[in-house]
Parts: sequence; structure tokens; C-alpha cells
Amino acid sequence: MSCAIWEERVALFAGGDLRTAEAAAVERHLSRCAACNALAADLRWELDRLRQAHAEPLAPEHYAVVRGRVLAELAKPPRQRVVWPWAWAAALAVAAAAVLVVMTKPAAVPVPDVLRLVAGAPAVERSRTQRAPRKGAVISTHVRRRRVRGAVPSAIEERKLEAAEVVTPPAPVPPAVEDSPVRMVQLATDDPNVVIYWLFEGTGEER
Amino acid sequence: MKVLALATVEAGDQPEGRDSVLAAARAGDRAAFDLLMRRHERLVLGTAFRLAGNLEDAQDASQEVFLRLYRNLAKLDTGNLAAWLYRVTVNVCHDARRRRPGTVPVDDAQELAAAGDDPQQSVHEAERRALLLRSLRVLSEKERAALVLRDLEGLSTAEVAGVLGSSVGTVRSQISKARLKVRDFVERYSRRRL
Repeated sequence: MSCAIWEERVALFAGGDLRTAEAAAVERHLSRCAACNALAADLRWELDRLRQAHAEPLAPEHYAVVRGRVLAELAKPPRQRVVWPWAWAAALAVAAAAVLVVMTKPAAVPVPDVLRLVAGAPAVERSRTQRAPRKGAVISTHVRRRRVRGAVPSAIEERKLEAAEVVTPPAPVPPAVEDSPVRMVQLATDDPNVVIYWLFEGTGEER
Repeated sequence: MKVLALATVEAGDQPEGRDSVLAAARAGDRAAFDLLMRRHERLVLGTAFRLAGNLEDAQDASQEVFLRLYRNLAKLDTGNLAAWLYRVTVNVCHDARRRRPGTVPVDDAQELAAAGDDPQQSVHEAERRALLLRSLRVLSEKERAALVLRDLEGLSTAEVAGVLGSSVGTVRSQISKARLKVRDFVERYSRRRL
């Protein structure tokens, strides 16, 4: 039985893998330890036999087989990548269609029930009473233009006023409109490209 | 063109000759590449044989190594060709083994030692060598690579570390453990036969 703490160093020593100082230390130990000495002798013998066995050449035909296979592989025509033109064309058409749909799709603006909203809107009252609505009651006035080019702002304002008089509310007032805190009036103008939305908060009554 | 290239190659094993073989192979000269394979086939197939443990797998691995050599001819440095081949051989054998796990039992050394042997038969020198080579199978993959490159192929510890991408200290540890395992395997085998 060799000394466990020396085994690894003896194994390196047997293969000549130790530096001079380390090798000298192992040699000193071997001179005193018969078990480690026997281990070193076994390891040297085994390494020697292993090298001899490995040095025995393989039969030439084994090498020839490999060379033949490699050269045959290289002689094959290079693999061509499969290209499907119709697949590319289809993919391109789908992509173009998607882009077209996105570009032509109108903005998602909720269109309220114009008649119901107009019925409860204070703008209608204004047209009846000839009074201006309270400033604080107006949240925003939004003018939506569709391809208005070269239009003079003053001309648009004139059209707004004309349109406000054109709209007339129906008589019955739906309860849903009464409950809603925000109301909207859509004002149609004689220009189909200009639509005016008027948003109100509350009922429009003076407090 | 090919004949000219080969004539240059046959001129000698001088570094210039080696460079010209490589240059001709890079230019697509199959005869030059064949010569390049002949020059390194012992290195590749011999190493692969010890790492894979059987000739068939070693030949498959060698084929892959030479095909990779062909594909990488343009990038290769002539001075490091042997180191490159060792590295690729080790990697290819490693990959092949991972794809086919369990083809070589590595843990049960006693079973391996007993397999197919007649206990009554005397242990001859050739048999001892065969036994030693079989003992490589009980080593882990890294230990086996380190031992094959250091003890069988004769690379220095630093060269082995370079090929395996490890530190010298790690390789020394792997080599010493591998040698002790081989010795342990042979000892157990001998005890079984007595």
C-alpha cells in the first residue's frame, strides 16, 4: 500500500512531469517507502507498454478508408439551398397588403349617436335662446378635417356658424343622454371635409 | 496545375514545402489536400482511435476532422496545424460520444476487465498491452484526452493544456489521476485472474 498523499506526485514523477525540486523530493520519499517505490515502478512499466501499444501502426487500409470517404464527400456537388420563389412572392404580397391596410385605415374615433346627443346638447338651447353657453362648461371643441387643403380659417369659422343653425333636435330626449355627464354635438357643415364636434360637461344649465 | 503543385510538395518536408501544400490545397487542389491528409492521418486517426475506443467511431471522427480541415483551410495557420488537428479531433470525439451516450461503459472496471476473457488463459505481453489500452475506457473523457495527448502522443503538459483549453495545473491533475486509474484497473484485473 503506497502513501495516499504521495500517490499523485509519484504518478507525475513516473511520467517525468515534475520540476527538478519536486522530483528530488519524490525521489527521497521513494528511497524510504517501498510501497511508493513499487507504485512508481508499476506506473513506469504501464506507461511504457501503453506507448508501445499506441505506436503499433494501424493497417494502411484503415487510413485509406478515411481518405476515400473524405475525398468522396468533397467530390459531391455542393448542396444548393432550396429557394421557393412563390413562397417569397406570397410573403411579400401579404406584407404589402398589411401595410396598405394600416395606412388606409381611418382613425378609430367613436361616432356617437348624433341625433340623441344633439337632442340634449346645450348648443341647441343656444340656438333657441340666442345665449352663449357658459365658458366653464365647454371641455373642448374639436374640429375634424378631412383633406382640407388651402382652406382659409376664417371661411371655416363662418361655415361652423351656419352649420350650428342648420342642426335641429328631435323632440323626445332619451334618458341615457340625461345621465351622461359629457355630451357631444356634431355640427355638419356644407363642406364635407369639415366636421365639428362640440363636447359639453353637465346639462349646460347655469348654476 | 495540379501536377505542378504536387511536384512542389514532393520536393521535401521543408516548411516551404508544407506551406506550398497548404497553399495548393487552399486553391482547391484535391491532390494537395490528399497529401495533407496523408501527412496527418496518423495523428488524427491514432488519437481518435484511443479516444473513441473503437476503429469505426475513430474513422467517422477522422472523416469529420478532415472535412473541417478542408472547410477551414483559408483560416489556418501553418505553424499550428498539428495543435489545431488535435483540438478538433478531441472535440469531434467528444461530440460523437455525447450523441451516443452509454456506448462505452466507463464505471464498471471489473466488468470491463472480465468481459470476453478466459481466466485460465495466461496473460501474454500482447494481451497486457490490449488490457492497458482497454483501461483507457475507465477514464473520464477529460482524463482520457489528457493521458492520450501527454503519454501516447507525447505532447508536453503545456501543449496538452493548450489543446484542451485548460490550465497546466488542471492537466497535471488529470494526468496523474488517469495514470493511477489505469494502474488500479490493471491491478484489479490481475487480482481477478489469480
